[in-house]
Amino acid sequence: MNKPFDPAVRDFLDGRIWLRQHTPFSVEIINEHIESGMIETTPGVTMKKGLFGQISCKCIRCENEDPQLFTSFDCLQCEGPCAYCRNCLQMGRVSVCTELIVWNGPRTLYPTEHALAWEGTLTKHQKRASEELYESTVRARPHLIHAVCGSGKTEILFEPIHKLLVAGKRICIAAPRVDVILELEPRLRAAFPSTKLEALYGGADVKAFEAQLILATTHQLYRFCHAFDAIFVDEADAFPYTAEKTLQHAVRKAAKPAAPIHFVTATPSDKLLADIKKKGAVSTIYRRYHGHPLPGPRYEPLWNYSKELAKGKIPKALENWIIQRLDLNEPFLVFFHEIELMMKAEQAIRQLDDRIRAVHSAHPDRKQHVQALRAGKIPGLLTTTILERGITIKNIQVAVVGAEQSIFDAGALVQIGGRVGRNVNHPSGEFVLFHNGISYAMDHARREIKRLNAGGDQP
Amino acid sequence: MNPCLLCMKPISEVASWQSFFALEKKKTLCDDCSKRFVRADIKEEGDVLDAVHSLYEYDEAMRDWLHQYKFLQDVALAQVFSNELRRAFSSTDTIVPIPMHPERARSRTFAHVETLLDGAKRPYVQLLAKTNTSVMGEKSRHERLNMEQLFELIPGAVVQPITYRLVDDIYTTGTTLRQAATVLKQAGAARVEAVSLIRSIQK
Repeated sequence: MNKPFDPAVRDFLDGRIWLRQHTPFSVEIINEHIESGMIETTPGVTMKKGLFGQISCKCIRCENEDPQLFTSFDCLQCEGPCAYCRNCLQMGRVSVCTELIVWNGPRTLYPTEHALAWEGTLTKHQKRASEELYESTVRARPHLIHAVCGSGKTEILFEPIHKLLVAGKRICIAAPRVDVILELEPRLRAAFPSTKLEALYGGADVKAFEAQLILATTHQLYRFCHAFDAIFVDEADAFPYTAEKTLQHAVRKAAKPAAPIHFVTATPSDKLLADIKKKGAVSTIYRRYHGHPLPGPRYEPLWNYSKELAKGKIPKALENWIIQRLDLNEPFLVFFHEIELMMKAEQAIRQLDDRIRAVHSAHPDRKQHVQALRAGKIPGLLTTTILERGITIKNIQVAVVGAEQSIFDAGALVQIGGRVGRNVNHPSGEFVLFHNGISYAMDHARREIKRLNAGGDQP
Repeated sequence: MNPCLLCMKPISEVASWQSFFALEKKKTLCDDCSKRFVRADIKEEGDVLDAVHSLYEYDEAMRDWLHQYKFLQDVALAQVFSNELRRAFSSTDTIVPIPMHPERARSRTFAHVETLLDGAKRPYVQLLAKTNTSVMGEKSRHERLNMEQLFELIPGAVVQPITYRLVDDIYTTGTTLRQAATVLKQAGAARVEAVSLIRSIQK
């Protein structure tokens, strides 16, 4: 195939599955490439009639097949019954009469010269895991890095990623949470200064569409198709990745058919462990990079906390804990199970120090507030589970209000505790579970932390 | 059980005899999302337009809803206010929706006001046609107030000396509704009232 094409169109579309009418190129350019066969078109949603006349739809972009997530209507565009997918609506509506385009021409050749500017050294556990991970990549089998919080998981990825980049491969690091991506981006930019890197998340200002190293929320992978030679899924057990089948499909679809998908997490689900053991390999790290044990949780009853907070009162034990943090000048996070309760608590807690803020997933300033906490401009944050993982703040102290709530499963509690004592100079700290009765998950988390600290031998 | 149309979370419903016999309306939103929408019921009177009833004020919740419905083309969201809209009319009302230009309707794939009325199961008659493809949302207040004629009667439409009730999604300066009312009155309508889903008050 020696037909001419516009390299800019290839760079943009290669590996992507995109709405035909939403590209940065003119209609004429896209049409020309379709005519010459460089771009293939496909309907956005397929409709099939079942055996009994029932209609089943499938979204070609996000592979959603749940009939509840399709809406049919009389379309004025195609002048007939049409249906669209509500699962990936936020990325631009895909319906039966919308066309998706994929690149069908020669694929992009990526540069093979890349610098690795990270100058730290790996512990021997990290080094072993890093080598095992690369070995799995070469053998194209999935690999799980099961490493405790604060063991330096990101650094383990650097070597294998660098080797892949030098081989001209395209790589993706995906995570279910945008906070994790935001935390990773500067670290990876610093580690790979000469590599084209782009972070994709809802509302991101994307410039380098053709980047060889892509950081993306798992949602963004809906828009990729057979793009990557390897995908690393960070925090693979986090909501909503585990709950939404279409996100797992999206990761599979974004990888090239034979490409391996690796997982990195401190708290793998039983299902992930079982799946990986069947086909792939696991590296386990029980020690934090600084060698100190994980801080265990301390239980403290906070009877009827929701009633008291709803009345605008801070329960005494919680108040004392916060005052202590303020006196000692230690940054802190207080986790809540729901936004409404947290907002009520915020008003009361701000009486203690007006700089304290609350953040949740829909909060417009959440990025800035976390940044302010890191910079020491605010003494502490109230948060929902969005900050349970991926964030590192020196000498942070952590409390959970309502640790018995079902949203705090054992994995979430282990992750929350994992925020504490990550720095060599501050290897321990407060990890308090304020509760209104002890749940199985709390005990499970406490046992798990004990087990990890013992080196993973005891049950 | 269908998930909430806005947050996609499952809707918790308490089983009752009403729900068992399907006497209760099926919920489209979860309690948290429906709490965000507060009825304002603003009623205003004027000359050309005899009365306007606006159901909600333009706030954050409404802005989000309107964005997802009109610009992300989420047709399903027409169901969110179907009960409220249904109750804003009586079965004897003659309802006239504000029309879209056919070209714009085709690019949006649906006519948003008519789809709202379909969702509310209120029949309507289309007497008006849009004369140009201009979009109100892109104009300044001054431009809007000095618009040329926006609507005309569709050929063959018969306007009777009765009360007509216009319907639009959002009422801001009132230019759209007043212009539509003028056309109807010049054609012989006795009285023109309007129902708008949202009232946007400019400060």
